[in-house]
Amino acid sequence: MSGTATKSPDAHAHQGFLRTYIFSLDHKMIGKQFLILGLTMLLLGGGLALLIRWQLAYPEKPLPLIGASEQFVTTGDPDSTSSWDRTWTEWLSKEEKEQNWLTRNVPQGVITPAFYNSLFTMHATIMIFFVVMPILVGCFGNFLIPLMIGTRDMAFPVLNMLSFWIAVIAGIIMIAGFFVPGGHAAAGWTSYTPLSSDPQWTGVDWGQNLWCISLIILGISSLMGSINYITTIINMRAPGMTLFRMPLAIWSLFIVAILLLLALPVLTAALAMLLFDRMAGTHFFAPSGGGEPLLWQHLFWFFGHPEVYILILPGMGIASEILAVFSRKPIFGYKAMVWAMVAIAFLGWIVWGHHMFQSGMNPALGTTFMVSTMLIAVPSAIKTFNWLGTLWGGNIRFTTPMLHALAFVSMFVIGGLSGIYMASTPVDIFIHDTYYIVAHIHYVVFGGSVFAIFGGIVFWFPKMFGRMMNEKLNKIHFWLTFLAFNGTFFPMHILGVGGHMRRIYNPLQYEFLKDLQPINIFISICAFVLGFTQLLFLFNMLYSIKRGKKAEDNPWQANTLEWMAIYPIPHGNFAALPTVYRGPYEYSSPEVEEDWLPQTKKLAASAHGNGHHG
Amino acid sequence: MTAEIFDADIARGEDLARKKSFGQGPPPFFAEPPFDPGDRGEGSNTPVGNVFLAMLLFIGADVMFFAGLIGAFVVFRFGAIDWPPFGQPRLPIAVTGLNTLILLVSGVTMLQTWRHLDDWKRRRIANGLNLTALLGVIFLLVQGYEWAKLIRFGLTMQSSVYGAIFYTLIGCHALHVFGAVIWLLVVLMQLQRNQFNAKKHNSIKLAGMYWFLVVALWPVLYGLVYLR
Amino acid sequence: MLDWLPPNVSTYGGEIDFFFHVIYYITAVVFFLVAGAMIVFLIKYRYKEGRRATYTHGNTTLEIVWTTATFVAMLILALVSKPLWGRIKQHTPMTQSMVTVQVTAKQFNWEVLYPGPDGEFDTAADSTAGTLDDYQVDNDVHVPVNTVVRVILKSKDVIHSFFVPQARLKQDAVPGHTISAWFEITQPGKYEIPCAELCGFGHSGMLGQLYVHTPEEYEAWKNEKWPPAPVAAADSTNIEAPQQ
Repeated sequence: MSGTATKSPDAHAHQGFLRTYIFSLDHKMIGKQFLILGLTMLLLGGGLALLIRWQLAYPEKPLPLIGASEQFVTTGDPDSTSSWDRTWTEWLSKEEKEQNWLTRNVPQGVITPAFYNSLFTMHATIMIFFVVMPILVGCFGNFLIPLMIGTRDMAFPVLNMLSFWIAVIAGIIMIAGFFVPGGHAAAGWTSYTPLSSDPQWTGVDWGQNLWCISLIILGISSLMGSINYITTIINMRAPGMTLFRMPLAIWSLFIVAILLLLALPVLTAALAMLLFDRMAGTHFFAPSGGGEPLLWQHLFWFFGHPEVYILILPGMGIASEILAVFSRKPIFGYKAMVWAMVAIAFLGWIVWGHHMFQSGMNPALGTTFMVSTMLIAVPSAIKTFNWLGTLWGGNIRFTTPMLHALAFVSMFVIGGLSGIYMASTPVDIFIHDTYYIVAHIHYVVFGGSVFAIFGGIVFWFPKMFGRMMNEKLNKIHFWLTFLAFNGTFFPMHILGVGGHMRRIYNPLQYEFLKDLQPINIFISICAFVLGFTQLLFLFNMLYSIKRGKKAEDNPWQANTLEWMAIYPIPHGNFAALPTVYRGPYEYSSPEVEEDWLPQTKKLAASAHGNGHHG
Repeated sequence: MTAEIFDADIARGEDLARKKSFGQGPPPFFAEPPFDPGDRGEGSNTPVGNVFLAMLLFIGADVMFFAGLIGAFVVFRFGAIDWPPFGQPRLPIAVTGLNTLILLVSGVTMLQTWRHLDDWKRRRIANGLNLTALLGVIFLLVQGYEWAKLIRFGLTMQSSVYGAIFYTLIGCHALHVFGAVIWLLVVLMQLQRNQFNAKKHNSIKLAGMYWFLVVALWPVLYGLVYLR
Repeated sequence: MLDWLPPNVSTYGGEIDFFFHVIYYITAVVFFLVAGAMIVFLIKYRYKEGRRATYTHGNTTLEIVWTTATFVAMLILALVSKPLWGRIKQHTPMTQSMVTVQVTAKQFNWEVLYPGPDGEFDTAADSTAGTLDDYQVDNDVHVPVNTVVRVILKSKDVIHSFFVPQARLKQDAVPGHTISAWFEITQPGKYEIPCAELCGFGHSGMLGQLYVHTPEEYEAWKNEKWPPAPVAAADSTNIEAPQQ
């Protein structure tokens, strides 16, 4: 993976390949492993999304490349000149048992409704649990925490390694679900019961079981990770690194680790009950046996809403780092930023009911949940205004990480504002379960988290791989992604306003959605551009790891501790542990001539020694 | 430029790096990392050690797991018209009450053992751990016996939600007790082999902390599930 | 953007649309202010050689101002939304002319049950007395215009969601629960009732039709389709909720 890392004379020279790259105990290598896991799954999850978009734009039309001719699909009469038509004729003429995976899921290249349900179920599951969480929490958490707080490694390196490999096992189980009889889980990523709790309703048997098992295993991995993160941050900060001198990225990961620690066990309990329903004949969620279907929704969303913040908080932290560095300014309202994140994390526990306004839950509860949900807008607004305050009066450098961070802020604003519509109970009656929700979640998780991921990768690439990414390719990738992203997801608001339900297979089956079909086609075209643009980024990464410009030790002139470690960073990070003298964002400080002042730099006792507030 | 940032600290560090030459020699699979993991720099202040903090966090996560199941129980218990449902056996309150006492006593013996750890009275520690584990085994045996009776009376996972949530919740606790007993036995074995001493006995404390969790959970479950 | 809303035809739909518009304008203004400020800052404070950024750690007054302002705005928005929500979801208006239909969702149809001439759903007692008069049909809901229609929602298998876009009504049908919803439509016509909650491979295309008739048409439809009133007809003035 990292060609240059092997050249380190100190770190890994004598540790065989297995110890260096596979079962590494080094938090930096584990972070990179999580990055590879996440990016691989991103390709898969993105591919599923493109299949979904194909079906929505061109319902029941054969897929390009592997599909049969339209003539064959509509009339059943193969086109003698088309080789795929001949192949499909041959495959479909076999007995059911002898047919292959393609004929079961995309006969003649047309996505079946059951497979379509699996597609969006797995798109969400993979993107949330195997892309955004491994990259934001797994990769950046592992890579940044010990470096940024100035310690040698995680508190429990072996646990850290196990956490990664258990996540890989969970991923393999999750992918295996595609290939079991009955197909993969098809009850949505929320797996509402009783649809998910009894195979008779979906026809999915082992797919759903594997889905549960995989997430339980992933929960163990996350538990290991979060225990490690919290312990490391509480106990292993470098001398002088007080809690309020920690970079916001570390604060966000700290809070996320606490959320993960407390939220995932609840999901595990719910998943265990779901598995019992499916495999042990219990009726927790089936009313036929005295069960309660809404119980699943309560348990799921009690986990699920903190989960949403698990996905976005690290993005906020990363964006804060990047904004401060490239505005050359201290973060505006550092403590307000920290407390806002704490408030978001706290409020996240008492808002789960806003996912259930139309579920038949006692409507009196709706008002309570509406109020608590609306209150989340307060800390979100604090963050946004403080980001603006950070830009104000800056000396802004428009590097690619900065562009991604700015995109993060503006897309998060749209995603946050569109959330208010759902929080308002009367409006939610109409937009619940429509594409408005799909637009909202993608503005938060793609516009928010994924832009932060791109920004973070470009920003820390020099420390991860010792080289700079190609700036020109990066800029092209950014602008294409930004435009295609908005082209894909903004019109989804319009679909939602038009009443377009989510998770439907063919919008043309509905009279009132016919006028919206051109928008669906436009969205899909943008989505294809968006999807293929990401290949550019992957290419740039691979290319730059090998051929990129050698990076300086502190290419962005940043203050935080990770830039003080010298590439290639040995296992153990710092030859001598750094001592921290000030907060992380002392840019343009009057105490020094340059416009940055590293946390480790000891200044001669000065007249205005109280100048650092961090 | 770098020289400016990486002041004396770093210069000193590079020197050290050369002297220590990290990562020399082929380390075994689960080797200690090539540096002193205890090196926290000067003036570090950690009131709770890493392993204990991790254990506390794990206990927090475990409590949330039970909170999920207890939440489900509460929904069923207070949403039901008949509890236990018609035709389903009542739970053995008295025997289980006695069993509760046994588990609570095991908590006390564990606490006594814990008190002897710092002045390292090895024999008392071994006796305490033995007694605690024995009480845990008795608790499990009584539970198992009662379960066998309940199953004979027709209370199973499939018979009703009542049975399902009972076996899931109480069964999860029983599994925890089982795990804790195993852990105590492992610790005892290590103690017999003289792997602990007055300075180094974190494993005993960790097992003890876990034991306190399973003991503390039980009265809550007993009160909620057995008593009404 | 809100021009894309399907034309509203229900009594409370207009109020929902009003809130939709209010939030739309509030969020649009906030967005343009934030985005505008951002663009101004990005241009004004773009990188210039030799310039030094303002060295500030924040401003407590500002923090308090924008925290309080957002807090108050959000609280007001929540409080003004509350009465409408209560009217739609908590209190079904009781009127003399109210019509009740029972909709039972099942994979992948709406099973619609009308109480018949006696105005009450059949019970076991009707079965023994031979006074069965309910009328059942799949996917077709016929109701009169300008009348409160109470929908009793049930489900036979999984969760479905009863959605009438033009009436701004959405309510899940949950197995094991009986959930009441209501609407009053002001324009005769034919509307669609899609299922809005994923309910299996046939979820897409699970579609009912809502026929809103003028009073005359409604009477005609009733006379044509409903079974004749049984001999021992129940008290037809009784409009209380049927015991389900």
